[in-house]
Amino acid sequence: MTYLAMFHWGWLLGAFLIGFCMGWIAVVYRGRSVSRVWIQRLSVIAAIIVGVAIAKVVPGRFGYWLDLGLALFGFYLVGCAIGSWLRDIVVVRQQARAS
Amino acid sequence: MHGFYRWSAKWWPGLIPLAILWAVAAWVSTIPLETDLTAHSTAALKNTILDKSQITVAGRDVSFSAEAFSEDGRRSAVSSVEATPGVRLVNDETRLVAEAKPFVWVAERDNVRVTLWGTAPLPASKARIVEAARAALSGTEVSDRMGLKRGAPPRFDAAAVLLLDQVAKLKEGKAVISDTNISLSGMARDLGGREAIAAALKNLPEGFTVAVNDVKAPPYVFQANKDPVTNTLTLSGYVPDNNIHAALASAAGRKFGNEKIVDNLKASIGAPGGFAAAVTTALGALSRLSTGTLVVSDREVKLSGDALYEVAADQIRASLARELPQGWQAKAEVSVKPAAAPVDASVCQQLFAQNLTKGRIRFEPSSASINVDSAGLLDRLVEIAMRCPNVKVEIAGHTDGDGDAAFNQSLSEKRAAAVEEYLVKAGLPADRFSTIGYGSTQPIATNDTDEGKLQNRRIEFVVRQAP
Repeated sequence: MTYLAMFHWGWLLGAFLIGFCMGWIAVVYRGRSVSRVWIQRLSVIAAIIVGVAIAKVVPGRFGYWLDLGLALFGFYLVGCAIGSWLRDIVVVRQQARAS
Repeated sequence: MHGFYRWSAKWWPGLIPLAILWAVAAWVSTIPLETDLTAHSTAALKNTILDKSQITVAGRDVSFSAEAFSEDGRRSAVSSVEATPGVRLVNDETRLVAEAKPFVWVAERDNVRVTLWGTAPLPASKARIVEAARAALSGTEVSDRMGLKRGAPPRFDAAAVLLLDQVAKLKEGKAVISDTNISLSGMARDLGGREAIAAALKNLPEGFTVAVNDVKAPPYVFQANKDPVTNTLTLSGYVPDNNIHAALASAAGRKFGNEKIVDNLKASIGAPGGFAAAVTTALGALSRLSTGTLVVSDREVKLSGDALYEVAADQIRASLARELPQGWQAKAEVSVKPAAAPVDASVCQQLFAQNLTKGRIRFEPSSASINVDSAGLLDRLVEIAMRCPNVKVEIAGHTDGDGDAAFNQSLSEKRAAAVEEYLVKAGLPADRFSTIGYGSTQPIATNDTDEGKLQNRRIEFVVRQAP
């Protein structure tokens, strides 16, 4: 993992930044939300894919691309979470100042 | 926590750029990643001993094929690749190197190169053997055709290196290790090489035995060339030791009293039995030739040249075969020298005197038996007598002053008669010769010294013009 993180740090940082931006926007975004049911379903699918990756079932380059996708996705989610959390803090402060 | 659920429901639009990023990352990073993993996996195997090692990386999965020299080594190599950072899976295609039964290794030498065949147990052994071959056979091309297999006997390397040293002593031939059996065949480069190889094989590593040692020695050659133009006898080739060298040089000196002897002989072991006796006999035969070459090769004596007259040629052919030691072969190609031009009585006398001054007819002590060393001189005297057919010759015998005068008188007469008999047997008419003995009455030097006595013991030829 350390090797992968070091080798792909640029791409992972990119995924993190995309996630951070997306998280930042998501707090105030008025667009369509994914339903709770779909989030659960997608979570299950994601868990299955992670299981497949851990089991090393997919061979060769496809296996590598799967690992890479999951790693990017993981950093994306972390970025989203941090982005949303920070934006939420900013929004709460602004609201407090306005009231 | 509730907020996270709410926000995460709106994170999905970012998945589109993320997917694009993923695609680009996959496109850009795959080859460099594979190259990097190949390099790291190969580096991880640096200290493992493998043959035909091959690493192919697809994504993070490594296909590793190699031939290992032991099960432990094979497992260790696979573990090393598995432990390489970044490697996800190792597709293990390794196997053990085939086992050779019997384990055969060959070093074969011809005129041009040394070829190493068969199998070595490890790459390091192979390299060491090739290096040893280059060191032992400097200046000779070394062709390495060895494979690698398991099953070598213990101390194989040491045995192979020792054999390479022996191959260096061969002109051509081969050394074979088959399990713990050693076979050697071929021709030694130098005289004594066969013996040196046999001695070295006693130092083989423990466990190895010599199954066959069929190394042949090069022919043991002795040559003598009699050249009447330069009046030299050239000796070349080998003699077994300094004592025999001295004995043969002395025999040559007695038999070739007229010739200057050029001695190029070298001492070397490996002479066949009876060498000294055979060469002495053959030199005696050569001394009777006008011009000739003697080649003694192992147990074969080859004499070629021109005898001074027909009877001599017959005698040389017959006596050479008869007098050689048992087991020796004679090959005499003796022809007869064309008869020399006739000369008158005075020249004839001069030629007799010249030959009897340079050389001396020798007899056994206190006996009228002509010493075999004098055959060459007698043949020359016969030839001179043939050149002046119309003269009569008086053969005069003289002794030194030692002993009883009557005995000396009788001995001188018998010795003169023995010489006459030799001339008559050579085909000259008996009525051309008369003999006389002077005992010790006509000394030409003092009888007080050995040198003087030697000069006084003589045969003289006195030409008498035929009436």
